[in-house]
Order: sequence, then C-alpha cells, then structure tokens
Amino acid sequence: MANILWLQGGACSGNTMSFLNAEEPSACDLVTDFGMNILWQPSLGVELGDDVKNILTNCVSGETKLDIFVFEGSVVNAPNGTGEWNRFCGRPMKEWVRELCDAADFVVALGDCATWGGIPATAPNPSESEGLQFLKRANGGFLGADFTSKAGLPVINIPGCPAHPDWVTQILVAIATGRAGDLALDEFQRPKTFFQSFTQTGCTRNMHFAYKVSTTEFGQRKGCLFYDLGCRGPMTHSPCNRILWNRVSSKTRAGMPCLGCTEPEFPFFDLAPGTVFKTQTVMGVPKDLPTGVDKKGYIKLTGAAKAAMPAWAEQDIFVV
Amino acid sequence: MSNSDDALRDRIGRLMANGLETKTEPFPENNIEFEKVLDELRELPKDALEEKLVVSGFVDKPYGEDEQRCLECMYYLVHRKWCDLPELAVPVEAEWWCRLWRI
Repeated sequence: MANILWLQGGACSGNTMSFLNAEEPSACDLVTDFGMNILWQPSLGVELGDDVKNILTNCVSGETKLDIFVFEGSVVNAPNGTGEWNRFCGRPMKEWVRELCDAADFVVALGDCATWGGIPATAPNPSESEGLQFLKRANGGFLGADFTSKAGLPVINIPGCPAHPDWVTQILVAIATGRAGDLALDEFQRPKTFFQSFTQTGCTRNMHFAYKVSTTEFGQRKGCLFYDLGCRGPMTHSPCNRILWNRVSSKTRAGMPCLGCTEPEFPFFDLAPGTVFKTQTVMGVPKDLPTGVDKKGYIKLTGAAKAAMPAWAEQDIFVV
Repeated sequence: MSNSDDALRDRIGRLMANGLETKTEPFPENNIEFEKVLDELRELPKDALEEKLVVSGFVDKPYGEDEQRCLECMYYLVHRKWCDLPELAVPVEAEWWCRLWRI
C-alpha cells in the first residue's frame, strides 16, 4: 500500500484531466491492482474543508505515512513572497508544499507549472511562480537545488502541458511497487525512460524532414512542420510519437506543430507576437536547429537532401 | 510538371532576362521582417505576377556570397520545379533566388 497525496497550486487542472483519462493502467487500476491509496486529490477527494486539512496535517506530522506527494501547478509566491494569492486550507499553499515535501518519501512535480513554473512563470510572472526545484532552466526553484525527499531522490519532474497519462501512471506504479531505484533521471530530473528520445522520434513526417520538404499551411499532410510552422519536435525531449496520445495519435501526426512543452523554456520566446506556429529564423536559417546540428552542417545537409529528394516526397502519401 | 507551368516559368525567366528590377534588399533578417514581405505579397492581386517578383526580389541566378539558390530553399519542390510558398506559388528554376529564401 502506497499513500499518495495530490495537490494543485497555480494550475489549470490539465494534468489531473490527463491523468483521469489514463488507460492500462487507469486511475482506478492504480487503486485496485497496484495498491495505491489516494489520500486526497482535488478532483477525486470526497473530503471538504477541515477534513482535508486534517489529512494534510496528519501527513505533515507523520501520523499518516506519506509515500508519494504529487504536486501539480506552480508554487505561487505573490504578493511579495507571501504566497497569499494561493491559499489552501487556511494558509498559503506554499507552506503546505514545503512541509509535505519534507514529509514525503517521494515528491513528484507534475506538468510544466510544477516542474519549471510553466506558463504562470512567463515574464513578467505576476504571480511570482516557480517550479518545485526549477525556475525555467535554473536549478533551485521553490525547494532549492539541494532538496532531496526522504527516499533520497530529488523531485521527480514529469513535465508536459499536460503530461501524458502514461508518464504519470508508470512513474507512480514504479514508485509504489518499490522500483523507484530503477528510475534514471536526466539533468532536469525527468525520467530518462520517457525524456531521452525526441518528440520527432517516431514522427510520421520524418521522411519529409529528411528530404527537407516543408508543410507550408495547416491541414497539409505532406511535409515537415519544423521548417515553417515552428515545430519543436527535433529539439524537444518527449515520447509523444512513441507513446501515442489516446493510443491513437500525436500533435505532429495530426498536423499540429510540437510546442516543446516538455522543455524548461516552454512557452518559448515568452509568447511574443509572431513566435507561435512560426519557425524563427536568422538570415533564412532556423534560429533553433535540431539538437546537436550546427549551422554549417545543416546547410550542407539541406543541399544534399534536396538534391536526393525522390518525387514522392513532394506529394501527399497519406491517402484516405 | 505541366505545360502551363513550363510556359509561366519561361515567361518569368524572360522577364528577369530582360532586366526586371526587383527588391533583392533588404534581406529579411528575422521572422518579423519576413512576415512584412509576406504581408506586402498578400495585398497584391493574385494575377499580379510582375509585382510579386519585384516584392519578393527574384533574380535568375544564385545570390550572395553563399551562392544561395532556390534548390536549397525549403519552399522549393525539386521535381515540380515549383515554389511552394503560398504567397508566391510560382514555377521556378533551381538556380534562381529570391529574398524569401529559407532553409
């Protein structure tokens, strides 16, 4: 039996909605098949008011063992560092977060807002939001760079806007079944099993990427979304095209550019006008090249790819 | 490649060979400037071929120190010999260039 407590800070509930759509295992399977005891969760908990406060207080005091603390949403510090803009059970949420993180064996930050601050932390960041252990790319965040939970691990970051339900359930199952030691984390404390490969890995448009054929308007099934429509698939770490959404599709498969939502800088360029759905260029060359590729190599590769392009690459090969 | 594409490509080639002066500069350094050129193109009537070529800065040879040309441009469809940028959408030659060149 693993006790799980799940709270939300500066959040839209998107990760909760994603989690509730989980299959194989579903949220119910976590309870019935994997021995998880969900002490409270904003959309599932039946307790209200003082009853919720008692659950939290018991976790902090140790009367109830807190195995996993899941936090969704940013830690809100406004105004002036007080956290009063996000109160919960009679006090600033951030005070609960601090004490619950200290009490928990494992701490899981779920979604971009909890991991890096996400959209709430976008400049000018009026809510003074930050992630549990990062603020964008900077290590530290609310808990500080040196924080480790009782089990000795830093915050386990599962980013995404929202995170895929499988990323959440599989990590919770791993922890609850005593396999947390198998989790390898990357430099941003993301489980490598999900965040080592790129969003582009498994994308159905990879052939068009290889031959440098661009999708130039939304709705086109031919072409790659990277060249013109701002797709960040080649430089974003996620398994979106390996572990499909709803077991069916992904953004890029459906013709929607990847927004890079599992990376600390999301949303990129602070959402300045003209930066969304448009590849940013400098003198005709993409500002952000695929990870590991330099400008010189990119230009050479483009020439070679175009010269070798087969005729079918210019056509829509996905016939209905 | 259709005959009408070939004919139009020939016509464009003749226009440039006969000295059509186009706006090759300034090259749009970033996306915002690129969008401004696109906006200019969008305001033109669909059949305003010469104006399109002028605004987009067409030339009939590689351009600049790097010898940039349509062949490497991401909007160029090699087999159709076609510029697939929706605001242009014209048949082109691989050795041509315009200031909307992107890779």
